[in-house]
Amino acid sequence: MTPARLGRFALRRAAQAIPVVGGIVTLTFFLIHLAPGDPVYMMAGEGGDAGYYAEMRGRYGLDRPLAEQYVRYLGAVAQGDLGHSYAYQRPVLGVIVERLPATLLLSGAALAIAVGAGLAFGLVAALAPASHADVWLRVLTSAIFAAPVFWVGQLLLLVFAVLVPVFPVGGLTSLREGSSAGLGDVVWHLVLPAACLSFGFLAALARVLRGSLSVEIRREYVRAARARGDSTARAVLAHAFPNALLPALTLIGHQVGYLLTGAGLAEVVFGWPGIGRLLLDASSQRDYPLVVAVLLTVSWLVVAANVVTDTLYVAADPRLES
Amino acid sequence: MWRVLRRLECVLPALALVGGAVGCKPAEPARPAPTTLVVAQNNDPGSFNPAITTSGNVHPVTDQIFNGLVGLDETLSPIPELAERWDVADGGRTYTFHLRQGVRWHDGQPFTSADVTFTFEQALLQFHSRTRAALSNVLIGIDAPDAHTVVFRFREPYAPLLQRLDVVEASILPRHLFAGTDLLSAPANLQPVGTGPFRFVAYRKGEFVELARNPDYFRPGLPAIDRLMFRITPSATTAVMALERGEIDYLPGIPGSELARLQADQSLTVVRASGGSGGSFCQEVVIPNLSRPALRDLRVRRAIYQALDRQAIADRVYFGQGTPSTGPISRQLRWAYAPDVRAYPHDPAQAERLLDEAGYRRTGADPRLTLTFTHPTTSSRLGQALRDQLKQVGIDLRLEALDFNASVEKTFVRKDFDLGFASFCNGADPEIGVRRVYASNNIGPIPFSNGAGYRSDPADGLFQQAATTLDRAARVQLYASLQRVLVDDLPYFWMLDSDGARAYRRRFSGFRLWSGAFAETVAEAGTR
Repeated sequence: MTPARLGRFALRRAAQAIPVVGGIVTLTFFLIHLAPGDPVYMMAGEGGDAGYYAEMRGRYGLDRPLAEQYVRYLGAVAQGDLGHSYAYQRPVLGVIVERLPATLLLSGAALAIAVGAGLAFGLVAALAPASHADVWLRVLTSAIFAAPVFWVGQLLLLVFAVLVPVFPVGGLTSLREGSSAGLGDVVWHLVLPAACLSFGFLAALARVLRGSLSVEIRREYVRAARARGDSTARAVLAHAFPNALLPALTLIGHQVGYLLTGAGLAEVVFGWPGIGRLLLDASSQRDYPLVVAVLLTVSWLVVAANVVTDTLYVAADPRLES
Repeated sequence: MWRVLRRLECVLPALALVGGAVGCKPAEPARPAPTTLVVAQNNDPGSFNPAITTSGNVHPVTDQIFNGLVGLDETLSPIPELAERWDVADGGRTYTFHLRQGVRWHDGQPFTSADVTFTFEQALLQFHSRTRAALSNVLIGIDAPDAHTVVFRFREPYAPLLQRLDVVEASILPRHLFAGTDLLSAPANLQPVGTGPFRFVAYRKGEFVELARNPDYFRPGLPAIDRLMFRITPSATTAVMALERGEIDYLPGIPGSELARLQADQSLTVVRASGGSGGSFCQEVVIPNLSRPALRDLRVRRAIYQALDRQAIADRVYFGQGTPSTGPISRQLRWAYAPDVRAYPHDPAQAERLLDEAGYRRTGADPRLTLTFTHPTTSSRLGQALRDQLKQVGIDLRLEALDFNASVEKTFVRKDFDLGFASFCNGADPEIGVRRVYASNNIGPIPFSNGAGYRSDPADGLFQQAATTLDRAARVQLYASLQRVLVDDLPYFWMLDSDGARAYRRRFSGFRLWSGAFAETVAEAGTR
């Protein structure tokens, strides 16, 4: 398939996602506005009189009917204005742009760990079915898959930051020397949260690869390769493994969304300054423009990940274009 | 490898994660390591204008950057700050403040009376919810006869003014940076310039706020630390681990379940305190909705209060971080607290008798009364304890746990609750944080107002009298009478006078735990 055709395919898939993203924005807008709570209480604080709170609502247009607020919001979004954060007193786009790199770094690192370790575990388990390694890996991956992120996070902190103090407890950098932290310091802080976030995905990937590879290595083309004189390792790695990767590839594409949205819990436990935490804070403070804008951003990132996955699929097998 | 990484930092300074503050300067001669105090804070401040908000996320930071006209000492008596001295005239209707001379803002501009009048007229009386609600109806005007004198004129004597002028209640802003701007979105809200002990250096959202020692601070020799870092740590458990590990030096709140472990740590000092930026002298209070027929009956309210074992709640729910309350003023606010009020000891048998009298009798297995307790999720343990204890006297308590904002809205704004919950902070004077909870003119859709809907002419009268009486001894008597009235009427269920634990590394000392400016006098052992 030519690159131009692949590009058209990707654009078509992205265009198909526009109504989905629009629906998410609309639903989020109404849900967060209809939830009990008022951003003015969080912004201004307590102890005021009724006139004061009414005046503050007027200043932010919160006294207008919800439908009118929605129409105004859509009009602003159409002009590229995603709104102004109540809490940060800045355009929400600026706030998100500041926080997004931390989430992308965390999610990217978790993805790398999950893919590397998940594929390795899956390969080992598939090559020696029912062996001790296989049984232990299956038990381990089941346990990891079932464990919630916040629990695993606290356990990792307790073991690797407190009992055996190898890694820092939290944050993106060490603060003892002020804000002049280096890249190595960031990487040191990244290890535990990335490992924590990767575990669920790693376990799922290992199990999927083990299943698909177990099927592939029994197929005739693998036996034929070995009959031609290929070693077992070559027959598996050069012939069975690429075919067994397709289901894993699907899982990777879909899990990118999970890594972005699921990063919030890991970000809270490890004090990591990403957009997952930003979303949680904005929700509790009823910072309406920021909540909707973060979800809009995450929606587009998930769409982008899915478009990339679908495009890779089509590149691998052009019959799937239809 | 390390050198490669350092070079990468220089090549990629735009990398947002490490950008802005990446050090690529040539090596400098060795200097003594700066003293850094790292403080845990659980939420992002967002912006830094203390005169337009009472937010507990903003003030812990800004109270180190700005000053009030006065400070408060450990007994909550006013001490000079930006005002060197003051005179009270006309029986408490006129306060004249003589400002400290030679004070400069962090950007070098001189501090004058114009900054004070601007701050009150354009910021505090417009946007600071508490100051506006308290002063806008009693204040005639603020004059600045010269660059170092400010005069407040009131319609009637106003006793609590001096307690309202500290950095928590009335931080003074630099007029030259805010005049002509919209105070809610002024650029100076993000680059704060104050007169205080620390100046603003950097803010990375979700990560930290960095402040540095103000070398020109008007109090010689202070502050004693060079750098103050606020580390944003949303998880309380993680913050405790960071303290144990030495990544954090000061933890302003400790989860009850972690308290014993930190107390056993020899490298830490654990102290009790109840003042500061987030609210002083707070009480945990269960709010009965007095518009509900059952709760309007004083016998039912007394029955509920006596059914509760508040000492057990203090021990098991709050892990001993407080003492059962005796009335509407916390015992921590020593000068105004009166212990000689009606007592409501834990007495389930008496509670059952009172409920029988009120007509709520036991009929078989059915409860006498069913109530719903609307509370934030952070008070879930309290809800479970209340449910268990009220069940003993035949009251079925249903728990409705909501997120904080929703709980406030449902209780104070919609009034859609039977029993609600709030942590009410008294402040340095009952006029600041007590009156609003009981005054009949403060019943309305307002957060942390008179949520019960209590009306009492005697109580209203005593509050007004206390506010306009200058003599402290006379005020003490008035507040004692007021507490007797309120405890007899029992419009709220006062559960606990909070006395929260705070922890810091033993090598530091000098924390002013009652004050917003807690870090001004902190010193590290072995440094200046």
